[in-house]
Amino acid sequence: MAATVLPARAAKGGRPRRSRRLGEHLAGWGFVSPAVLLIGLFGMLPVLWSFWLSFQETDLTSPGEFAGGAKYAELVRDPLMWEAARRSAVYTVLFVPLTMVLALPIAVMLNQRIRGVTLYRMAVFVPLVTSTVATGIIFNWLLNPQFGPVNAALAKAGLPQQGFFQSPGQALFALVAMTVWGWLGFAVIIYLAALQAVPADLMEAAALDGCGRLRAFRHVELPLLAPASGFLLVWLTINSLQLFDEVYVTTKGGPLRATTVVVYHLYNKAFVDFDGGYAAAVGCVLFLVILAVTLVQLALTRRASSYEVR
Amino acid sequence: MSITMTGRAAKGPATRGPAADGTAPRRRSRRPSPLHLVLLPLSLVMVAPLLWMVLLSVSTKEETRRFPPGLPHGIEWRNYTGALADAPLAHWLGNSAIVSVSCVAGNLVFCSLAGYAFARIRFLGSRALFVAVLATLMVPFQIVMLPTLIMVRAAGLTDTLGALIVPNLATAFGVFLLRQFFTTVPRELEEAARIDGASRLRILVQVMLPLMRPTLATLAVLTFLQTWNDFLWPLIAVQNPDHMTVQLGLQTFQGAHNTDWPKLMAGTVISQLPVFAMFFVAQRFFVRSVATAGLK
Amino acid sequence: MRQPSGRRFTALVTGVALAAGLASGCGSGSGAAKKITFWHGYTDAQATAIGRLAGEWNAAHPKQQVQPVFSNNDNTLQKTLASFVSGKAPSIAYQYGSSLSALTGRRQTQDLTSLVNGSPDVNWNDFFPAARQGATASGKIYGVPALVDNLGLVYNKKLFDAAGVGYPKPTWTWDDFRSAAKKLTGDKRYGWAYVSDGTEDTVWRFLALLWQAGGDLLGAGDKEAAFDSPAGQQAMQLLADMAVTDKSVYLDAGDQQYLNLFNSGRVAMMWTGPWDLGQINKGVSYGVQYLPGKVTHASVSGPDIYMIFDRKAKDAAWPFLKWLTSAEVHLRFAEQTGDLPLRASEQKLPAYKSYLAKYPGNKVFIDNLNQNVTKARPNIPEYPRISQVLGTAVQAVLLGKKKPGPALAEAAAEVDRILAGS
Repeated sequence: MAATVLPARAAKGGRPRRSRRLGEHLAGWGFVSPAVLLIGLFGMLPVLWSFWLSFQETDLTSPGEFAGGAKYAELVRDPLMWEAARRSAVYTVLFVPLTMVLALPIAVMLNQRIRGVTLYRMAVFVPLVTSTVATGIIFNWLLNPQFGPVNAALAKAGLPQQGFFQSPGQALFALVAMTVWGWLGFAVIIYLAALQAVPADLMEAAALDGCGRLRAFRHVELPLLAPASGFLLVWLTINSLQLFDEVYVTTKGGPLRATTVVVYHLYNKAFVDFDGGYAAAVGCVLFLVILAVTLVQLALTRRASSYEVR
Repeated sequence: MSITMTGRAAKGPATRGPAADGTAPRRRSRRPSPLHLVLLPLSLVMVAPLLWMVLLSVSTKEETRRFPPGLPHGIEWRNYTGALADAPLAHWLGNSAIVSVSCVAGNLVFCSLAGYAFARIRFLGSRALFVAVLATLMVPFQIVMLPTLIMVRAAGLTDTLGALIVPNLATAFGVFLLRQFFTTVPRELEEAARIDGASRLRILVQVMLPLMRPTLATLAVLTFLQTWNDFLWPLIAVQNPDHMTVQLGLQTFQGAHNTDWPKLMAGTVISQLPVFAMFFVAQRFFVRSVATAGLK
Repeated sequence: MRQPSGRRFTALVTGVALAAGLASGCGSGSGAAKKITFWHGYTDAQATAIGRLAGEWNAAHPKQQVQPVFSNNDNTLQKTLASFVSGKAPSIAYQYGSSLSALTGRRQTQDLTSLVNGSPDVNWNDFFPAARQGATASGKIYGVPALVDNLGLVYNKKLFDAAGVGYPKPTWTWDDFRSAAKKLTGDKRYGWAYVSDGTEDTVWRFLALLWQAGGDLLGAGDKEAAFDSPAGQQAMQLLADMAVTDKSVYLDAGDQQYLNLFNSGRVAMMWTGPWDLGQINKGVSYGVQYLPGKVTHASVSGPDIYMIFDRKAKDAAWPFLKWLTSAEVHLRFAEQTGDLPLRASEQKLPAYKSYLAKYPGNKVFIDNLNQNVTKARPNIPEYPRISQVLGTAVQAVLLGKKKPGPALAEAAAEVDRILAGS
C-alpha cells in the first residue's frame, strides 16, 4: 500500500505481465468491495426481494402466497397501467432534455468571473433545498386558476386564463414546469463541477489559436462535458421515470388521473389497495425499462466521451 | 510529491494567466458583465420560494391564513424563539448532523474508491458489477423501502441512528457520479505515475483526488442535502423520539388539520442554514481546484 | 476504515435468512410490555393535553407506564406498517378511521371485541354511533374511538349581510342553499367551496349529499354499488348545477386554500368540521349551521380511533384506553383541545357547560352527532378503491367533463367490479 517510489520503479518492467493483471483484478475488487457490499446489502437485496415479491399475493407485511405470473398478467391487462406508462414517457421526454438544455448555459455563465457570482450560485441552489411540500404549495398558489399571479399576468396581457393543475389537459405540463424548476439547480451544479475539469491551458491555447469563444466551447469544453452530460441524462431519466413526490404534493394523480404516472399508480396499488405483489410487479417492469434505457444511454455517452487530452 | 511533479512534466506547456484558478479565461474588466441581465432575473425566480418561506416565518398565524397571500405587517420574531423553545430543535439538528456528516464521509471514501476502480481499472466483472450498482436505483423506493427495513433489522440496526447512516454510507449515486468524472482526468497523468511504480491507491490519493476536488465537493453537498432532508426513510426506520432528525421533528408542527405555518417555516429556515453553509463552502472549490491540481 | 468483510458476509447471510423467516410468519410483536408506547399525531394544545393526561395516569399506575410519542399524521399508516416489518409495533397508535380497513387483516392488529363486551364499565353504547361504527369492521371491534367529528355549514356573516341574503336556517333546503350560493358569488368571490382533489376529501362531502337525498353508497351487505340511484343523480346534479352552471363553487385542488379564502372573504360558505373553527381569523364573524337538506339533513363523520398492535401489551394498554376515553377524562381533553365529545353522557357532566361556553361553534356539530350522523362509511377493505373511483367521478362532474348520469353509471359499474373481487 505504502509503496515507496524507488523500489517500485526498480521492479518496473521486471514484473511478469500476468501477475500485474491479477493485481489489477485484486485492486479493482478491493477498491469497489466496501461500496459494493454496502450497496449490495441495502440496495441489491431489497431489489431482489421485490422481484420475488412480484410473484406473491401479499399485503406487504404478512407472508404471502405464491401467485406465479398472475400479477404480471394482471398488469398487462390493466388499462390504468398503460395510461400511466404513456404519461411517464411523455413526462420524461419533456423533462430530461429541458432540464439539461437549460442547465448548461446557466452553468457556463456561473463559471465566469463576474461580480456576485457566489450569490448567483447560491440562488440557483435554492430550489434544491426547498422541500417538495413547500414547492408544491408555492406552485399551487402561482398556478391557482382563480387567484394565482400567473393567470393574473395572462389576463393583463390579454391572454386566455388557464387551468394548470386543475385542467386534465395541462396538469402534466404544469408538473414538467415545476420539476424543471426544482431540478435545474442540480443539473447546474453537476455541470459547474464538470467545467472545473476543463484545463485552463486548453481554453487558453484555443484562444491563442484564434478560436472564437463559441468554437472553443464547442470543440474543447463540450466534449469534456460528455461524462457529466451522460451522468445527468441517466440520472434525470431514472428519476423522472420514478416521479412521485411532486405529484403527491400537487395533483394527487388528478385531475381525472391526468397525472397518475407509473409510480403514482404503483403507490396506489401498494398503499391504497395493499396489493403488494401487483405493486412489486409494476416496480419490476419499471426496473427493466429503466435498465434498458440506461444501458442504451451509457453506450451512447461512452462513444461521445472517447475524448482524450492530447 | 514526486508524482505530482511527474504529472506536471507530462502535461505539456505551462500556461499562466488570470484564468489559472480554474474559471474560464476572461479578461478582468471594470465594466459590469451583460450576463447580469440574465442571471439577476433567473436568481429571483430561483429564490422566490425561499423569500416566501422567510416571509411566512416572520408572519403571524392569522397572516398565513389568507389567500391570496399578502405581505406581513410586521416581523414576528417570536416564531423563531418559539420554534427553538417549544421543541428540541437543537437535539434534532444534532442527530441530523451526525447522520449527514457520517454519510458524507462514507460516501467520499467509499465512492472515491469504487468510482475510480470502475472508471480506470479493468477487472473481472467490473461492467456487470457497475450495472448492478446502478440497478439499485431503478426500483422505486416505495417498493424497496420495506425490504430495506428487513435488512436494517437483520443488521441489528432497528431504531438506531445507525439505521439512518449505514444504508447510506455508500450510495449508487456517489459511485456513478465519481466514476463519470474520473473518466475526464487525462490518462497521461496516471500513466506517468504508474511508470514511476506508484500503487493504485497512491495514484488515487495523490494524483486523482486532488484533480477531483470540485466533484468531491459536489458529492459532499448533494449527499449532505439528501440525508439532511430525507423524510420517508427516517420516518419508517426510527421510532424513538431521541433519534428524530430535524425533518421528522418539524412534522410535530403539522397537525392533522392545522399546521402552525409560521413556526414550521421558522424551523425550516433554521434547519436549512447548515445546508446553505455547506454549499457556500463547497462552491469555493469550484474555483480553486485546477490551481492545486498541478496543471500550471 | 474498512471492516473485515467476514462480518459483513455474516450480516448478509442472516439478512437473507431473516427475510425468509419473516415471510414464513415469524417476526415478533414487540419488546417489553411494561412500557406502553402510545403513538399519536397530536400537536400544539393537543400534545400538551395528552402529555398531561399521560402524566396523570403514570403517577397513579407505576406499573403501566404510558409513553406518548409523536408518530405522524398523514404518514402514520405507512409508519405503522413499517413497524410491523421491523418488529417494533407500538402498543397503542392513533389511526385515521380510513386506515382501519387496511389494518384489520394483519396479525399485529388486536381484536378488542371480547374486551369491550367483557367490560360493562366501558359503556360502549354511550359512544356516539358514528364513533362506534368507525371502530368496527365486519362485526368486530378493532379500536376505541379517539375522535368523532362531522361536517357543518360554516358561513361568513359579513358576506351574507353584504349580499342581502338571510343567514342559513336549520331547515334550509338544497334550493335555498344553491340560490344563496349564487347570490353570494361575485367577482373573485364564491358562494361555496368544494375540495375537488378526487381523494376521500372529495368523496365524504358527496356522501353527505347522497344521504341527504335519501340514497346510500352500497347495497345491503356491501355487495354492490347503490349510488347510481335517483338520490345519487340528484346529488350529482346539485354539484353540476352549482359548479358548472352557476359557477358559484370554488374548486379547491387539495391544497386546502378554501379556509384561507374564507378568511379573506373570498368564499362565503364552507362545509367543514369543528377543526377549522379554531383557524378562522379573529376579524371574521361566522356562524355554524346544519348542512342543508333534501330528505334529511344528514352529515358525515370521519371518526378516528386508538388501536392496539401489541398482543403482549394488550392487557396493560386496555385499562389506559378505557380511562382515556371515559366521559370525564375525555371531556377534560376536549375542553383543552376543542374536540367534540365522544360520548353522549359527556353532555350531562357539569364541566360540559364551561366546555360549550369556550367552544360555542361546536354546538351544531354536537347536535349533528345526536341526530344527523346516523350512517357511516363502510369499513370494508375495498373502500379505499371505491373512494378513488367515486372521487374521480365527482371530480369529472365538478369540472364539467362528464354529465351526472354517465359519471354515476360508469363509477357504479367499476365499483361493482371491485366488490365482485376483480
